[in-house]
Amino acid sequence: MSELALIIEDDEDLANIFAEALRGIGYTVEHAADGKIAQERLRNGTAPYLILLDMHLPHISGANLLAEIKQDERFAKTTIIITTADARMGETYGDQTDFVLIKPISFVQLRDLTNRLKPKG
Amino acid sequence: MDYFDRFLTISTADPDDARKRKILNILLAGTGGVSILAVLLSIYLLATSQEDRGETSLILWGSIATLVGVLVIYAVNYFWSGRVAAFLFLVFLNTVFAFTDTPEQVVSGRTFFYFTIPIFMASILLSPVSSFIFAGITSVIISTIAVSIGFSPNSPAIIGFFLLAFVSWLSARSLEQALDELRAINLSLDRVVAERTQALAESLSRERIETGRSQAILNSIADGVIVFDKEWNATLANPSIRGILDIPLELVVQKNFRELIEHPRLAPRSRQLLIAMIDHGTQPVGFRIEWSEKTLSVSAAQVYDNQRQNIGTVIVFRDFTREAEVERLKSTFVGIVSHELRTPLNAILGYAEMFKEAVYGPMNDKQVNMADRIMKNTQRLLGLINDLLDQAQMEAGKLTIHAQIVKTADLLESLHGLMDKSASDKSLKLTSEIDPALPDSLTGDPARLQQILVNLVNNAIKFTDQGSIHVRLFLHDNSRWGIEVSDTGQGIPESELHFIFDTFRQVDGAATRSRGGFGLGLSIIKQLVGLMNGEIRVQSKLGEGSAFIITLPLFSPEGISAKWRNT
Repeated sequence: MSELALIIEDDEDLANIFAEALRGIGYTVEHAADGKIAQERLRNGTAPYLILLDMHLPHISGANLLAEIKQDERFAKTTIIITTADARMGETYGDQTDFVLIKPISFVQLRDLTNRLKPKG
Repeated sequence: MDYFDRFLTISTADPDDARKRKILNILLAGTGGVSILAVLLSIYLLATSQEDRGETSLILWGSIATLVGVLVIYAVNYFWSGRVAAFLFLVFLNTVFAFTDTPEQVVSGRTFFYFTIPIFMASILLSPVSSFIFAGITSVIISTIAVSIGFSPNSPAIIGFFLLAFVSWLSARSLEQALDELRAINLSLDRVVAERTQALAESLSRERIETGRSQAILNSIADGVIVFDKEWNATLANPSIRGILDIPLELVVQKNFRELIEHPRLAPRSRQLLIAMIDHGTQPVGFRIEWSEKTLSVSAAQVYDNQRQNIGTVIVFRDFTREAEVERLKSTFVGIVSHELRTPLNAILGYAEMFKEAVYGPMNDKQVNMADRIMKNTQRLLGLINDLLDQAQMEAGKLTIHAQIVKTADLLESLHGLMDKSASDKSLKLTSEIDPALPDSLTGDPARLQQILVNLVNNAIKFTDQGSIHVRLFLHDNSRWGIEVSDTGQGIPESELHFIFDTFRQVDGAATRSRGGFGLGLSIIKQLVGLMNGEIRVQSKLGEGSAFIITLPLFSPEGISAKWRNT
């Protein structure tokens, strides 16, 4: 069974590219197109193996979602990757997450990183 | 008594003629006085005594005649000529002497010596040489009298007269010479004093004009200007400061700056900036403060006197409210545009990569090459947008330096990670070294240092067609370290060296365009280096290569200059 990755990203094209990168190396991909959808999905669905979190989202900001994720025991084992265009924001939240990717994010870069993150064996 | 003193005083500085006239007046006064006494005495004798009445009346008439003569000569002296009056006086004296006694006494008796007086006086009243003339006249007079009474002329007396004339001539001559010299000295002294006085008057009036002009300039400047002494007491402020700060001038002038910055209209953050300026003594140019609704730009400069002694500070406040608003709008605009541009560009980049990586099936070489070109051009565009965003942030004073501990080895490691491929794509060698004297860790903003390194190396790769690019981190001195990026590229013409750091300025437009430059990189580096209290310079030789050398403080207490601009 393949690992579940949740992509929280409001830009359709970027979400599509990220999804292709992750699918290509065997992840099962779910997509949340704004903060509100993401919040519902996080509260009600199963905990993903990996979350790709855009900080700049409509309705509910990435920072709020991140705070919620950090408080929820269910996500203790989830790897969180922040994606943002703002380098300063990356610095601010760098300590609370596993990885920070500053946009523009390369397809190859994301694919190689998430490939390394897959469970061994 | 005072008048008498003045009457008897003869100033040596008086012109010759005036001096002589005055001497004559004194003598006339003396003679007149004696005559009046003689008149009074003879009248008294005539009234009280019967003896010698004939002789006494003779003395009376003689004295009256003398008095009249004195008055006539005084009038001549006063109204006409001093020389004529003196001549008349001397002749008059001779005449009086000739008739005051019996001819025998005049020729060789008691009155004879009276004749020496006009000879001596002539040398003083007329001219030194005229004593000889009067010696002659006197000789003629006494010889004539002697002959008329049957005496032979008194030759020893005549020789004596001429000897006296000689002595008088000598002494009067040397006296006149001494007076002439004294007068010449006086004259030149007067001239010097006059010149000095004139010069002083001119410089005073010039200074008054200058002061007036400076005051007029100060008064008509639209910016608010306050001049502080070394203790930060405001000694001077121009009227514009009233309009800019909206407070009475009395709250500014004669007050200490620390009092002024306690004013409630000043935003707390701005107060801290001004306090820091006073405490650090540093004078950054044009930082901003918030004064109630206004944004003011503050420029401070040290004031030095002629001896290069610091005598205080002058601060210029400019109303920057409108400009600040425009800047804010501009930076917001650029921020939004950049974000909106970057997202679709990221998508283009991603899709191109997917083509290249053959995500949707195999691609031939040409297709891969095309995808590669799409990626490269997109990256160029992204680079441009990043530079524009940095520039906009820098102009808005929003770009800040976050100092923390940086490991020098990390800097080079990530530089190689980012740039090795670009270098090898052009068959260039990217090498680096760390000066063993340089500490392993130092203070700096890792992201900004990385940005500077990547930018410089990127530039070097762009302008180098063969050879290598070398990066060196070194210890500059006790307090500064340095970054040197050198290449074996085409070099920069000397005439262009001094403006390569200007915003949007490029050396040789055509060459740069073909290499994908956009003229912001070096300007941003220079501004970043400035924010870090560092310096950048460039050495270059056409055809041999260029070297960019940056020096930075080893340990900076949270980059002060970055804070200044961050309003």
